[in-house]
Amino acid sequence: MLVTSALISGLGLGSMYGLLALGFYITYSVSNTVNFSQGSSMMLGAVFAYAFTVTMGWPLALAVVASLALCAAYGIVVEWVAIRPFARRGSNAWLMATVAIGIVADNLVLFTFGKEPRGFPMPGLLSGSIKVFGVGVSPLQIAIPIAGLAMAGLLHAFSRRTRLGKALLAVVQNRDAASLMGINVGFAISAAFAVSTVFAGAAGILIAPLFNVHSDMGTLFGLKAFAVAILGGITSAWGVMIAGLLFGVIEALVTALLGSSYTQIVTFSLVIVALAIRPNGLFGRAEVKKV
Amino acid sequence: MIADKIPFAARRSFLALSAALGLALALPAQAADTIKIGLVTALSGQSARAGEAITRGLTIAIDELNAGGGVLGRKFELVRRDDEATPAKGVIAARELIFKEKVAVLFGGLDTPVSMAIVPIVNAEKMPFMGPWAAGTGVTHNKGNPNFVFRVSAVDEIVDKAILQYAQKTFNAKKPGMILINNPWGESNEKGLTAALAAKGMKAVGIEKFENNDVDVVPQLTRLKEAGADSLFMVGNVGPSSQVVKSLDRMGWKVPIVSHWGPAGGRFTELAGPSAKNVHFIQTYSFFGKQTPKGDKMLTMLKAKYPDIKGPGDVTPAVGVANAYDAMHLAAMAIQKAGSTDGDAIRQGFYKIDAYDGLIKKYVKPFSPGNHDAINENDYVWTHFVDNQILPVAMK
Amino acid sequence: MSTRLKPLPTAAVAACLIGAAVFASLANGYYVFIIATMALTAIVGIGLNVLVGLTGQVSFGHVGFYAIGAYTVAILTTAAKLPFALALLLAALFSGLVGALLALPALRVRGPYLAMITIAFGFIVENITVEWRSLTGGQNGIMGIPSPVAFGEDFGERGVALLAIGLVAVLLYAFWHLSASNWGKAMRGVKDSELAAESIGLNPVAVKTLAFALSAFCAGIAGGLFAPLSGFVTPSTFTFSQSLLFVLVVVIGGAGTVTGPLVGAAVVVLLPEVLSGLAEYRLLFFGALLLLVLWIAPEGIVGETSRLLRRKRPGRFANTDAADSLQLTPAAPLPVTVIDLAIAFGGINAVSAASFGAEPGKITSLIGPNGAGKTTVLNMLGGFYQPDAGAIRLGEREIAGKPAYVIARAGVARTYQTSQLFGSMSVRDNLAIARCKGRLGTKLDDADAAAEQLAAFVGYRGDLTRRTADLPHVDRRLIEIARALATRPGVLMLDEPAAGLSGEDKQQLAQLLRRIADKGITLILVEHDMSLVMGISDHVVVIDAGVCIAAGLPREVQQDPAVKRAYLGEDAGRPTAHRAEGAATGGNLFEVAGLHAGYGAEPVLKGIDLRVRQNEMVAVLGANGAGKSSLMRALAGLHRPVQGGINLAGKDLQGLPAHKVVALGVVLVPEGRQVFPELSVSDNIRLGAFLRRDAQEQDIEAMFERFPKLRDRRHQRAGLLSGGEQQMLAVARGLMSRPRLLLLDEPSLGLAPAVINDLFAVLDRLRGEKVTILLVDQMAGLALALADRAYVIESGTIVASGTAAEIAADGALHRAYLGTQADTAH
Repeated sequence: MLVTSALISGLGLGSMYGLLALGFYITYSVSNTVNFSQGSSMMLGAVFAYAFTVTMGWPLALAVVASLALCAAYGIVVEWVAIRPFARRGSNAWLMATVAIGIVADNLVLFTFGKEPRGFPMPGLLSGSIKVFGVGVSPLQIAIPIAGLAMAGLLHAFSRRTRLGKALLAVVQNRDAASLMGINVGFAISAAFAVSTVFAGAAGILIAPLFNVHSDMGTLFGLKAFAVAILGGITSAWGVMIAGLLFGVIEALVTALLGSSYTQIVTFSLVIVALAIRPNGLFGRAEVKKV
Repeated sequence: MIADKIPFAARRSFLALSAALGLALALPAQAADTIKIGLVTALSGQSARAGEAITRGLTIAIDELNAGGGVLGRKFELVRRDDEATPAKGVIAARELIFKEKVAVLFGGLDTPVSMAIVPIVNAEKMPFMGPWAAGTGVTHNKGNPNFVFRVSAVDEIVDKAILQYAQKTFNAKKPGMILINNPWGESNEKGLTAALAAKGMKAVGIEKFENNDVDVVPQLTRLKEAGADSLFMVGNVGPSSQVVKSLDRMGWKVPIVSHWGPAGGRFTELAGPSAKNVHFIQTYSFFGKQTPKGDKMLTMLKAKYPDIKGPGDVTPAVGVANAYDAMHLAAMAIQKAGSTDGDAIRQGFYKIDAYDGLIKKYVKPFSPGNHDAINENDYVWTHFVDNQILPVAMK
Repeated sequence: MSTRLKPLPTAAVAACLIGAAVFASLANGYYVFIIATMALTAIVGIGLNVLVGLTGQVSFGHVGFYAIGAYTVAILTTAAKLPFALALLLAALFSGLVGALLALPALRVRGPYLAMITIAFGFIVENITVEWRSLTGGQNGIMGIPSPVAFGEDFGERGVALLAIGLVAVLLYAFWHLSASNWGKAMRGVKDSELAAESIGLNPVAVKTLAFALSAFCAGIAGGLFAPLSGFVTPSTFTFSQSLLFVLVVVIGGAGTVTGPLVGAAVVVLLPEVLSGLAEYRLLFFGALLLLVLWIAPEGIVGETSRLLRRKRPGRFANTDAADSLQLTPAAPLPVTVIDLAIAFGGINAVSAASFGAEPGKITSLIGPNGAGKTTVLNMLGGFYQPDAGAIRLGEREIAGKPAYVIARAGVARTYQTSQLFGSMSVRDNLAIARCKGRLGTKLDDADAAAEQLAAFVGYRGDLTRRTADLPHVDRRLIEIARALATRPGVLMLDEPAAGLSGEDKQQLAQLLRRIADKGITLILVEHDMSLVMGISDHVVVIDAGVCIAAGLPREVQQDPAVKRAYLGEDAGRPTAHRAEGAATGGNLFEVAGLHAGYGAEPVLKGIDLRVRQNEMVAVLGANGAGKSSLMRALAGLHRPVQGGINLAGKDLQGLPAHKVVALGVVLVPEGRQVFPELSVSDNIRLGAFLRRDAQEQDIEAMFERFPKLRDRRHQRAGLLSGGEQQMLAVARGLMSRPRLLLLDEPSLGLAPAVINDLFAVLDRLRGEKVTILLVDQMAGLALALADRAYVIESGTIVASGTAAEIAADGALHRAYLGTQADTAH
């Protein structure tokens, strides 16, 4: 029972990490940069959705769409403000710049949304608790990994089936050749950041009913998701998603079996050990050394 | 290209920033002959709301006092600093307020470690320090001789004893488990609860910790359940506490929860759902239910001053507002008694306060050289949520 | 980096520190604390600067070391009652040791992976301080840490502040000294080019480990001072965000600059204090201002300022006579014997069974078409690739599979195709660090004289104090050779040293190579310029498709039919049906006038003029490194900015990026195919029509008609296709956009002869269909067989132009390709 419940908790959280980490994967593949404030993007998704559904009383579906659209806009702003001015000059300062924009975003939300954590109402369909292998879980906990995998699948389909998706894939694989196809690489990078923040925002909305909505809700998530992205090997989409599930399950298992005192020590130590053994992550490909 | 426009945008935001900065820096300079009251607390991040509650309590009290002409013919002025919940920042902020702003009394915030880090400074610099929140026992029971630290708030050690006593009396608890937030507050209560249990020859069946941002506390709770816990002692702020309640709901484990005052810090029923009512927690004050005239007046003033307050449910965390309000009045009385803003005189002024008819209670000789805590075990009320209201639990 | 302290900055820093010290002795408790905090932050910053600035690594976990220092002092002075000075020393040493240990996993990874390891480290330390309660006091930490007592005096916070300021001075000096020392140069070297560092005998692992340990040591000192300054340590003081602030200190100040951390610490500590009146809005403004500072000075305040203030200093120039006294003769001659060397990448044999020998005092050249595996052989000799099979003997010693720095120390030096100088270091420092040959402890006091001699020997006449990144191309080549020679090698391997050099420069290079060989060094040369190779080589080894196909004297090799085939293709001058029709007519479609382009300071295209008429096929020919591919990239918009005119039917393309050039109808099929390897064949083709809204399935079908082999593989991943199929795919992809002008860059590169014939048949058909084409190809014979007209390009300028027949008959072309007048075509 201990293990079963830990597995279910772990898979739910793990798919959240995976979704956020996919955002890291997308921007890193396209532009070799990441948004270190990915946690803030997640928080924005939840905050927007709360504002639209609870404060303004919109229907859930509309609120979700609108929130994700705003998240996409935020991603584009991050790319314009914190990535492009630096990447263009070959400077690494985008790293600190994304941290800075995260601080700004968190604090703007603190002063507009409010300082109190708010509860996101559980949609009626998913309320209550069901038994799985004798363990009580919220239907949402089952829905989250499914939605997470569905989002990952959607990303896969988007990149394979749509014009924009294929353009992104082309940029990932060969930036120069992509521009020779007439693909605007700068636009593709902006789009990648938009997709990345949409994923984070979706994670935020998905988890909101199980969690509390507040300006600080994404910080630790963002960091763990970065660990997951790196652990999976930031160059492999499925690797990142699997690493997310793995990380979530290990976290829950360590908590359940050894006790919560050891959770962070053990998980972060495992990250170091894993990277020492596989320097490009569990599922990443080695970069070819060219001379 | 949009990127090309950035320098312009940058310039414009720079102008806006400098203007805002200039304004902010110019403000403290205006009122010269005021008595400055310093406040070092978390104003940003997770605990921003708590910091705001203290601010509101102090502001209402100061407005009241200033409307009555202040003390010693001078008005009060509140100077606040954000400690970002870290001791290192808190120490710098305290030093700034003591040495640069030259405040007369320094108020602390909600984090015990920050207060603990400030205590040696205030004792060395003879700066009266008032704690309206941080409940760590060591804050007032420090090595300072003389001791400049006073408090109008709960004391963890006493709260912990009360929690055990209440759990035994109300729920007949024999095998309690602890579920504690993984921060200094949680740890301080772990010590206090363990000591309280030991005093009665008992031991917790399990002690589990959870993080501020934990979504799912089921693994920890399952461990406690497997260990055979018949009741839970919970310490955590409102958000994390609600995660515990929701996790219990999912597990379908109905177990009595006796809690520190965390759940009162916000919209606990909204966050935790219907099971929120099962949590019994300790309070120093509640704005719900029948109020004293003082309480009614306070609520009216709060509504007038802060448009977001529409009813008692919006005064959160109530303890922060109430404690800070009473503490400010007590501090003003101490300054009055001292006849000056000299630190040591104010310290002695606290001892000279005979009585103060406050919001939380009627204080009689609240402080003495042997007792720097104005609130004691008789002042706690056990409460729970009924709908959105914090109401006292009908004692059995 | 000068070896003497510069008086003005030194005085400024000294004045700042003395000022701070005086202020700290007089000011009130708040300012003392602020000054002390700034000093501590600066100490961490100076240490982190060793890691970030000198070595190019990054750490987001330095708060871990800071915490280790603080807790060690706290525990030792409270529980163990040790005196503060001893506790501080132990804390710093312990922190340094942990730093060296963390380096072990951290060195295997780079970029974001390294960032993650350090982040994880910081979290682990934070959690250990929470959980190890008996030692650390748990969440509530350790309070009441005594302030240091020395000579019976209580230091107090003022004392700690003064001590910290003193340590800042000491550490700044130490940083400056390290930065100028061999170790510092080695760190910069590893940062600029780990490859090159290894090839001069530096062990990057040792260098980076030291950097980690030193920076951890500094953070430990700062933490050790923090404990008594504040009187407490708690886990919440040492959080991840503090690590970010430490990195910020270095970034804002300017990574790698001596005084950067000082400025960075001032900003990071003072800015929040200035903003403190904003109370809850402080963090918001801090974040916004941070963004602003980064926008204004992305390379840091000191970095940007010194860039603006960099004055023209009197340089130091080599004395031409200095070369005479240079000792270069190796201690013992080192012949190289290669036996059956083989390596495969991803199942494809890059080199199979390469065998040859190279004698001391002789020049042995490895030649062969592009992609033949020459550089791969050099990489195995130098230790950058581990051969799958075979032996490499250096004299009697077997070196196959040894690490690069070991091979370098054994006497093998090399240069690279794209020069791998330590770009941020001066010419002199590049040479000085190479002279150590990995023994960084050795003090070489005649550095200036030795640098002068080496520079004079290779014929560098420029300033020895100049940053090598700013050198012109020719000088970069020369200095790279000089650096290789500085290690006193027995074997010198040069990878395309003549690429991009003008005719005159090549002459001098040839003489230099001869002089080097005459010193008794075994010289191995990989080079495309055949006149150079044939002129100076004692022995020529020809490699094609990873196999040695011929070896011998230059004369013998030139006559070898297999070699001719490999180089020129066989069919130069073969008449084609379409040209016979005289198809190429029509007005000018595409005109290029006075096109200049370059990389940094180095011009690659120096005024190219050419034009392409409607329906015409024009070839651009020239040796490797002549600028052909740069020209194609410039025309297609991949290389920007360029000067001069590029005009397509009246539209100016000069300022347009690639995707807009494509939209106007100029499409490049790039060198090396560059298909999208993970996408299917049909997706690759579809992407070719990305900008066309009217593209239909029948367009794709038409491509399959044209390239039937692709139809069979339409659902396969393009990366799995053979080279020839990939080339067909690339052409098909290019055609999908219905270009007005198709640019083809080296379509025959690395293809088997039969495949090349197929390809040219396709191209032949295209010109029959009146597609306008501008073609660059090494296979001059084939290109000329197809083209209507041709241009010959050398060193970035057009040296000949005319009809295909005229060019085929012109000697200039053959000289450019094979270095002789030998007529291979007829």
